[in-house]
Amino acid sequence: MTQVEHLTVDDVRWDTLFERTRGAVALCYQCGVCTALCPWGQVREGKPLSVRSLLRRAQLGVPDDHEDIWLCTACAQCESLCPRGVPVAEVFQSLRGMAWEERRVPKGLPSVLWSIHWNNNPWSQPPSHRSRWAKGLEVPRFDPSEHEVLYYVGCTAAYDRRAQKVARALVKLFQAAGVRFGTLGDEEPCCGDAAKSLGYTPYFEEIVQNAAQVFAQNGVSRLVATSPHCFDTFRNYAPRYQADFEAEHYTQFLDRCLSEGRLRFSREVPLRVTFHDPCFLGRRNDEYEAPRRILDAIPGLERVEMARSRQDALCCGGGGGRMWMETSAGERFANLRVQDALATGAQVLVTACPFCIACFEESVKAVGAPNLRVMDVAELAAMAIE
Amino acid sequence: MATSLYGASEAQDVICVFLEREGDTLQRVSLELLSKGRELADEVGWKLAGLLLGYYRMLPLMGQAFEVGADEIWVAEHPLLKTFTVEAYTSAAFQVIMNRKPSIFLCGATPNGRDLAGRLAVKLRTGLTADCTDLRMREGGILVGEVTGFGGGVLALIETPQHRPQMATVRPGVFPLKPPRTERVSRAVEIISVTLDEAQVRTRVVEQVVGRGADITQSPVVVVGGRGIQGRFDLLRQLAELLGGEVGATRPPVDSGQIERERQVGQTGVVCRPKVAIVCGASGAFQFTVGIQHADTVIAINTDPEAPIFETADYGVVGDALQIVPALIEALRNSRVAVASG
Repeated sequence: MTQVEHLTVDDVRWDTLFERTRGAVALCYQCGVCTALCPWGQVREGKPLSVRSLLRRAQLGVPDDHEDIWLCTACAQCESLCPRGVPVAEVFQSLRGMAWEERRVPKGLPSVLWSIHWNNNPWSQPPSHRSRWAKGLEVPRFDPSEHEVLYYVGCTAAYDRRAQKVARALVKLFQAAGVRFGTLGDEEPCCGDAAKSLGYTPYFEEIVQNAAQVFAQNGVSRLVATSPHCFDTFRNYAPRYQADFEAEHYTQFLDRCLSEGRLRFSREVPLRVTFHDPCFLGRRNDEYEAPRRILDAIPGLERVEMARSRQDALCCGGGGGRMWMETSAGERFANLRVQDALATGAQVLVTACPFCIACFEESVKAVGAPNLRVMDVAELAAMAIE
Repeated sequence: MATSLYGASEAQDVICVFLEREGDTLQRVSLELLSKGRELADEVGWKLAGLLLGYYRMLPLMGQAFEVGADEIWVAEHPLLKTFTVEAYTSAAFQVIMNRKPSIFLCGATPNGRDLAGRLAVKLRTGLTADCTDLRMREGGILVGEVTGFGGGVLALIETPQHRPQMATVRPGVFPLKPPRTERVSRAVEIISVTLDEAQVRTRVVEQVVGRGADITQSPVVVVGGRGIQGRFDLLRQLAELLGGEVGATRPPVDSGQIERERQVGQTGVVCRPKVAIVCGASGAFQFTVGIQHADTVIAINTDPEAPIFETADYGVVGDALQIVPALIEALRNSRVAVASG
């Protein structure tokens, strides 16, 4: 006897989802390119993440309590080739939003949101320690009459000891280029990427509006972010909430400093490196060249490409809120990405996102590649200045 | 709207707290609720009662409840109340409540407490404010329950003005525990007989199992092993045992199957708050240190003096944990022998 799964169609659910995705979920015509492209297929033999079937169930209004809705890393691999232009990650976020309403949420995730609420960061770190990363450096408080740009550090670079090194390298580079910049110190607001990725949209809206307000009060019209995640939030989501400032990723800013002749690399950095495109910089914001131009301007540095790069770069696995969820040892995209890097013979796997760094450093150990270093573009660039 | 089985005019000026037991003591959340209940009762000049259901060794539990503020304890004893089953407990609690008619009934939002409160509210035809983050009294003996979500935008204040009892559940840890009362006050124990029928109870308790792998979030000492201890969790277990603690791990040893996932400490594992955390052979990745940052004292052992774990640690030992831990075990054992033979 064949077992038939009985599905219940829920029109209200469909209406809600249609509204929340602003109709985008209806566009899908079930070709399945998304499922084929999804990196989960590469780590889960025979059990890929069936993006297509989740979209179909969503269109039918079938309640989805499937844990699969929490897998999406928002890497946009599927979106890049979707013939109908479905914003798949946003659909997943909406499905997660419904799961929050029905209180079907993986363990540990509520505390991430509570941490943003109480601590202004998703890492359960004390708000009063936010500017400690800058200890011993000259980092002034942002003043619109004096400064051309706000350096938006972001929660991860402010607290994660590894990522703090990237923030410190950036300060060194800004100073070398004579950039007039400041930060908001302990008052810097969280961008809300974690709340957005985990699908708690009403709270995300509140966070991003609050951030926009803090920027307005401080006279910020331009900011440079360490993390592509903050950059993406400010560039693509903040404008929906009447925010009035421009956001750039630091690689874009440094690239311009180089082309304008403000920043010069004089020291040789004789390393063979390969650049990993962070999803939120590359596929999500179409910035592939700025980080490469920075690397190519470093004397003595040799840059090689991995087999899959730019639009085809494999995600590190840390987006879409996955930094706050456990991924079992055999299912980490970063392990595959480290293999990609090893195949190029590079000494350094270089990227431009604190989440990528955290995932890769873990995988370098897991894969057993102690000679492959994981670095940030900013760290290599800082090695090239006097 | 259905009316409750008894209304405000019949309800007595009493706040009743459901007392949940854990072995021979009351659960902390029950004591927290008694502390808060005392405060609320004093505000309006009401009595505070505890509802205790069970079958054996109830006396020490009553003592505890009186200490934190109960004026009286309503006790129902019955063989079917020996262990928690939702049918027997709901039926017994229902009978006691109908007998005493308290104005307010509070319950810890524990798995059993939630189960009981929901059924009880339906049976009593009254409202239930679940998962409150604060409770206060409004004029006229109205209980106001604060329920919150993320951010300030979803805060709700909920009242049940027409129905009695006014019911609420509160999560453990919301209210602070007040110090025990020293002054001598009235302490009344009232035994209320309940009728329970075995046929009502559709739950059969097959076996009671205390969760394997003790809860490291509650342990005063946690000994954490990283990649550097090369799977020698047997050593860490000995050390933890001598110190009355538990063993935890970072992600790599868990990944390689050297220890259960339940013991993983960090952002995607557990966050613990021990008095002492001893971290052996772990480099100190940020995603791990998040899990021990609330420890009172962190002692790190690592061969690499540059390891970031030393930035988190209060005390650091540069050296191989596989040599230091056995030496520490021996020293601890010797000192115990010395004390014992002392």
